[in-house]
Amino acid sequence: MKLNIEGLLVYFPYDYIYPEQYSYMLELKRTLDAKGHGVLEMPSGTGKTISLLSLIVAYQKAYPLEVTKLVYCSRTVPEIEKVVEELRKLMDYYAKQTGVKNDFLALALSSRKNLCIHPEVSSLRFGKEVDGKCHSLTASYIRAQHHSNPCQPVCQFFEEFDAVGRQVPIPPGIFNLDDLKDFGRRKGWCPYFLARYAILHANIVVYSYHYLLDPKIADLVSKELAKKSVVVFDEAHNIDNVCIDSMSVNITRRTLDRCQTNVETLQNTISRIKETDAAKLREEYMRLVEGLKEANVARETDIYLSNPVLPDEILQEAVPGSIRTAEHFVGFIKRFLEYLKARLRIHHVVQESAPQFLKDIYEKVCIDRKPLRFCAERLRSLLRTLEIADIADFSAITLISHFATLVSTYSKGNLYDYDFHQKTPTIANPVLHFSCMDPSIAIKPVFGRFQSVIITSGTLSPLDIYPRILDFRPVTMASFTMTLARTCLCPLIVGRGNDQVAMTSKFETREDFAVIRNYGNLLLEMSAIVPDGIVAFFTSYIYMENIVASWYEQGILENIQRNKLIFIETQDAAETSMALEKYQEACENGRGAILLSVARGKVSEGIDFVHHFGRAVIMFGVPYVYTQSRILKARLEYLRDQFQIRENDFLTFDAMRHAAQCVGRAIRGKTDYGLMIFADKRYARADKRGKLPRWIQEHLTDGSLNLTIDETVQLSKHFLRQMAQPFRREDQLGLSLLTLEQLQSEDMLQKIAQIAQQA
Amino acid sequence: MASLSEEVLLVVKRVRQRKQDGTLYLMAERIAWGPEGKDRFTVSHLYADIRCQKISPDGKAKIQLQLILHTGESTTFHFSNGSTALKDRDATKELLQQLLPKFKKKANKELEEKNRMLQEDPVLFQLYKDLVVSQVISAEEFWANRLSLNTVEHSLSNNSKQEVGISAAFLADIRPQTDGCNGLRYNLTSDIIESIFRTYPTVKQKYAENVPHNLTEKEFWTRFFQSHYFHRDRISTGQQDIFSECAKQDEKGLNSMVTQGVKNPMVDLLSLEDKTLDEGYGTATVPTTSNSSNKSLRENSNSAIIKRFNHHSAMVLAAGLRKAEAPSDQASETSSTDGNSRDSDFFQLPLKKVKLQESIEYDDLQGDSGRKTIALNLKKSDRYSHGPIPLQSQHYTTSQDIINSISIIQHEMRNYKPRLTQVMSSNAASSAITALSPGGLLMQGGAQQTINQLVPTDVQIELKHLYTAAGELLRHFWSCFPVNTPFLEDKLMGHLEEMLQAAYSKFQVWQTRRMMRKT
Repeated sequence: MKLNIEGLLVYFPYDYIYPEQYSYMLELKRTLDAKGHGVLEMPSGTGKTISLLSLIVAYQKAYPLEVTKLVYCSRTVPEIEKVVEELRKLMDYYAKQTGVKNDFLALALSSRKNLCIHPEVSSLRFGKEVDGKCHSLTASYIRAQHHSNPCQPVCQFFEEFDAVGRQVPIPPGIFNLDDLKDFGRRKGWCPYFLARYAILHANIVVYSYHYLLDPKIADLVSKELAKKSVVVFDEAHNIDNVCIDSMSVNITRRTLDRCQTNVETLQNTISRIKETDAAKLREEYMRLVEGLKEANVARETDIYLSNPVLPDEILQEAVPGSIRTAEHFVGFIKRFLEYLKARLRIHHVVQESAPQFLKDIYEKVCIDRKPLRFCAERLRSLLRTLEIADIADFSAITLISHFATLVSTYSKGNLYDYDFHQKTPTIANPVLHFSCMDPSIAIKPVFGRFQSVIITSGTLSPLDIYPRILDFRPVTMASFTMTLARTCLCPLIVGRGNDQVAMTSKFETREDFAVIRNYGNLLLEMSAIVPDGIVAFFTSYIYMENIVASWYEQGILENIQRNKLIFIETQDAAETSMALEKYQEACENGRGAILLSVARGKVSEGIDFVHHFGRAVIMFGVPYVYTQSRILKARLEYLRDQFQIRENDFLTFDAMRHAAQCVGRAIRGKTDYGLMIFADKRYARADKRGKLPRWIQEHLTDGSLNLTIDETVQLSKHFLRQMAQPFRREDQLGLSLLTLEQLQSEDMLQKIAQIAQQA
Repeated sequence: MASLSEEVLLVVKRVRQRKQDGTLYLMAERIAWGPEGKDRFTVSHLYADIRCQKISPDGKAKIQLQLILHTGESTTFHFSNGSTALKDRDATKELLQQLLPKFKKKANKELEEKNRMLQEDPVLFQLYKDLVVSQVISAEEFWANRLSLNTVEHSLSNNSKQEVGISAAFLADIRPQTDGCNGLRYNLTSDIIESIFRTYPTVKQKYAENVPHNLTEKEFWTRFFQSHYFHRDRISTGQQDIFSECAKQDEKGLNSMVTQGVKNPMVDLLSLEDKTLDEGYGTATVPTTSNSSNKSLRENSNSAIIKRFNHHSAMVLAAGLRKAEAPSDQASETSSTDGNSRDSDFFQLPLKKVKLQESIEYDDLQGDSGRKTIALNLKKSDRYSHGPIPLQSQHYTTSQDIINSISIIQHEMRNYKPRLTQVMSSNAASSAITALSPGGLLMQGGAQQTINQLVPTDVQIELKHLYTAAGELLRHFWSCFPVNTPFLEDKLMGHLEEMLQAAYSKFQVWQTRRMMRKT
């Protein structure tokens, strides 16, 4: 259907539309008009992705000069592929309606592992191996050697691409990962490099967060993306953790040992080159004297996305003399390394801030802050000059250099901490954690550079916390509810067992047999009444192990097995994948199954349980993060000092977003239905309940706040019986599903205006 | 007595059969009854032939036991030894109860299978009558190469009967009961045993290896329940346990399942993440390298339980699906060939596409036209619309041709005007009709009357039977070549010739009878 969103013609590839989709597009349009950032929460399964794509593509077509590119970031590979498929649907619809052939280029970009077509390289199992092998075939000096010595193997796909691929633009169309591979095979070009090259002129790019948020990758891939782009972070409820992860560093003794060998290799290479090709080193030296002028000019003229590892200050000045020559620099690194080694020799936990560390290093080994800052850039330059083949081998020294730059640049909000993993009482394994406390550092360049950044997810409540922790000022913040013709979700808070013992995963009572038994009874009762699949989430892996063991001893699991098969998430991803597949199989063939899983685990983050794969989700306990960790404590302190967010607020927020994420896995659309059982009495408190997304809160009545198991079973039976009735389109039409005519009526538009709740 | 060498398990005196007093003997492989004072058995049944036994209700005056055979016949024994009759009968019953199931399994299935085949296939039945009943060849020979070829067919045709799955909790159903003196009693039924065997083929294998020559059945199950294998939370310690090997094999199976990976790319957690952080980055604590060594025993047993549950559920699921999958595998030729994991990439693509499409579909947003239909995939649409055409007509009429000719015919029909002046005279017409009707001048054909008009039907049927029987014999004959076992040679030299001779003589008989009838 064709929609009119405040004067913008939007093609929407379906015959019907949900009211909230219309409302979502309105808000989105306003955000784009204002050229600002937005935070939008809309329940999963209400067609968020297609609304986003429809509106932004329409915007791009209408104002090609205002918005030149859409950068869509999602989290997992299947998500990325899904987005591209939806886009394909939209573009097909455009072509059918307008009769004009599609002139958009849209493509997905993923790591080499998912895109490589080289027969040998692509057969490697792990991403890192693929990257390393690829590098050893495509590095520039390897190819130079190939010229003189044809025996040196190179990747013919890359050669082919390099020879012709850049001149011939990739034709307009929608390229998913498999399409890229097909295209690459047909042309004989490397799909990975083709895609990396093509994103510069593509209209729509779909890739994962890391390509924008991880400075190491962003610098390679996304540096030259146009400023007039719209960036969308989908499933963004965990974006702060992604930011923090990409800026944090852990150093162990093993890292240092490997770094030591790296340094030795560097030294040897330098002395060898010095004999044969001293001019090369001299040339590099001259370049460094000149300073990082190129980068500076580029940043000033706003061509590149800035890199947090390459701070602004160092662009103004030349590399300090003390590390300018290659030997001096290696010597410098060696000194730094020795210092770190000495630090790791201690036997107790130390926690200190960056300035303290810098002060200490200055006193002990006379290393200044300034050269430290240049470390990352200097090493990069050196590795380039020395023509190092396998960058993967040098990961240790790269890590150290990044650490040096980060620690000397961001004195505020960073903190480190020596942690002892005392595995055996005799051998200490100290780790130096340098953890980034401030997620805004990694994402700042993104907000600074692109004109609109949209953060969206099914669970972003409370909305106002994201702008605070990510340090940006959005023009729109809105939360949308799900309009429903029938209440297809049924959140219930179970607070007590039938014996009136309170159910909670609180630390003090989690070993209590009565609690464990009650949890078991709850699952047992539910397994008897819920059809097909049940997914149960525990707060942590260890907690789940303990509960499963005591359920086994008490014979509860055996009784559950009478009703359903049991599958359990393990810490091994491959094993869990198998369990998941079997679980789906069991749901599919009617036997029914239970999946025991962990909040914050891989399953809770990336797998959807649509329709019969998840008729009920049970959340055992409140998934608080492990609060005793020093890193977390430091982060909480930082949040309190910098953003005035109280510790408890943040912890509850974090727990509730994960709980909501877990239970939200079961509902994927309005024809779907599912029970959401929160099995902990603490959920009934206003501070917890209030942090659930609005679309779940709305259906939590006072009557379902502190139920016993029996009451839960009664309510669930009733709900399931209702949901099992046939549900036709006519039931939805006019309420939660609109035709074009209905959408245009005056009072409907008024109703729609109420769907969005501005935060 | 005829068979004193047989082991006699039970002798019951004063048992009446057909109003005759006699003695009932239960032996290792058969049950037999001989009349009083005589030296031979008038009734003798192999246990394998017995389908079931029935007993008279307790209150009844006559104390009887009835044996029902697979053929449908039945034999009734009347225990008439006054006071001990009831005890005698019960002893017999108990013993039979133990003996029958042993023979039942193999005999039953085969017999039922044969029965079913004979009932379903009248031609085969006739053949059986001709060859086996008239003792041209023995029954074993008749079935020898039929059963094997029929099991496949059987599994294909027998899909209507649905395999019953296994309860996931079958192990839980074996509730141990304390027997009062520091021991546990487990109640096993044959259903549970079958469930165990189907779910854990390794246990079945162990059973076949050890029972009965190494262990008795009872010992076997006792060990099973004592083993850590049954108690999943115990960690394997002893090597002497026969089930530790099972556990190892299970482990292997689980590992191979894991390494095989999953078919559905949407649930593959390994490839979920696009770009993992490099080593050394991130806030998560560094995964400890020496995981297993420093875990406490408790943690280890916990994870063992979890593993076992996953494995158990997978096995139960697989046991339910095993039957269903076997034929479908053969049907889709391609799927069986991709043993190579590299190729799986190519096979995966369609599945991946389908799953992706499924996951982005909103069926309520779509208009009604979106109802799912299965597209008919025609390789040659011409053949579909015209049906098979004899090969010699090389050029196919295309649909355009057909449309053209129809329009031409229509056109001609429109312009058709009967020219009544030039029609045939009625005389000529009627003579032409008589000439063309059956028996007429033009319809006599080559006068080759077929055999079915010459020979009476009963002779015909007989000939047909002879023909098929001879065909069967010839099949046996040819299947002996190449002669590579002494058995085959024996068969060839000895009785096949006889058989063919017998068949030939039969034919001869028929021939002479026919001649006689003709003359």
